Amino acid sequence: MLSDDHPYVRRGLRNILESAGKYEVCGEAGDGSLTLDLAMRLRPDILITDISMSPLNGLEVAAQLRQSLPETKILIMTMHDSEEMLRAAAAAGASGYLLKSDPEELLVIALQCLEEGQCFVSPAFNQTSAKQLFG
Amino acid sequence: MSTLKILIADDHDVVRKGLRMLIEEHPGWEICGEARSGREAVEKAIQLKPEVTVIDISMPDLNGLEATRQIRKACPKTEVLVITHHDSDEMAAEVLDAGARGYVLKSDSDKDLVHAVETLSQHKPFFTSRVTEILLDNRGSRVTHPAESIRKRLTMREREILQLLAEGKTAKEVASILGIAIKTSDTHRTNIMRKLNVHSVAELVRYAIRNKIVEP
Repeated sequence: MLSDDHPYVRRGLRNILESAGKYEVCGEAGDGSLTLDLAMRLRPDILITDISMSPLNGLEVAAQLRQSLPETKILIMTMHDSEEMLRAAAAAGASGYLLKSDPEELLVIALQCLEEGQCFVSPAFNQTSAKQLFG
Repeated sequence: MSTLKILIADDHDVVRKGLRMLIEEHPGWEICGEARSGREAVEKAIQLKPEVTVIDISMPDLNGLEATRQIRKACPKTEVLVITHHDSDEMAAEVLDAGARGYVLKSDSDKDLVHAVETLSQHKPFFTSRVTEILLDNRGSRVTHPAESIRKRLTMREREILQLLAEGKTAKEVASILGIAIKTSDTHRTNIMRKLNVHSVAELVRYAIRNKIVEP
């Protein structure tokens, strides 16, 4: 399931995922509170979510879903490349953190990691410390 | 029907992909090129002469506003549509000042973007009702905001160099990116620092962030 307040980003994500062949986009939402409602209904395996959204940002959504849908893995996809945000995402219970500026191939790689129960953090960050955060 | 050539510029792969899909769904519209930075956008606009360039503001090397100025100067027939997540009054005024005749927020609907491209291709301006409201509200009360004053103080070249320096490039790297002598690049840096009355690169970076020349 996809969550981003920008329609082109959702469209681009959907296209990348659908052309990868093995993923189905079960739903899209443009704000955090819709994302929560829809995720509760659809129970996706993976939620790909932006951070900057209102009402409810992606981290608040992640924290709530962690409680109510522990099976759903959360991949954050954002333009925020700060360590601080990465830390907050790990604390909110996300399993992956990708930057919008990362090459698109990484999206599929990140999803594979999440499916296998591993974490994935954008190569823009120091991997050793990121592993500790998400470990 | 002749095809409408459109150039898209955004540093995020996923955004370019979404834009491409949306634009290509429209019969008669063709993406003639894609750019990942403002500088690439200027080069491709000159080379491909698109009717419309759709450009993001926050991009590395050369931001979308400066790129818009250069595109409008080099190819006056190319209309520029700015798409951005910056939803602020100042930004709307900045975009207009740079010579773009359309401004849509990334959170606006797909329909707004299609409508904007269509309107610009007829060389008419396009603004969503929200942006029009901002522009009308500001009429008559145009205060000199910081960005406006830098623009007056610095030349186009200096603003370009300010962004590169603020992104951490050395004077030598700036020289090689712009194809100018190191000495010239050094002189520009000295002039910029004198004009802005800053004394270190750290201050320069702070200045560039505060004035939205680069993202924090």
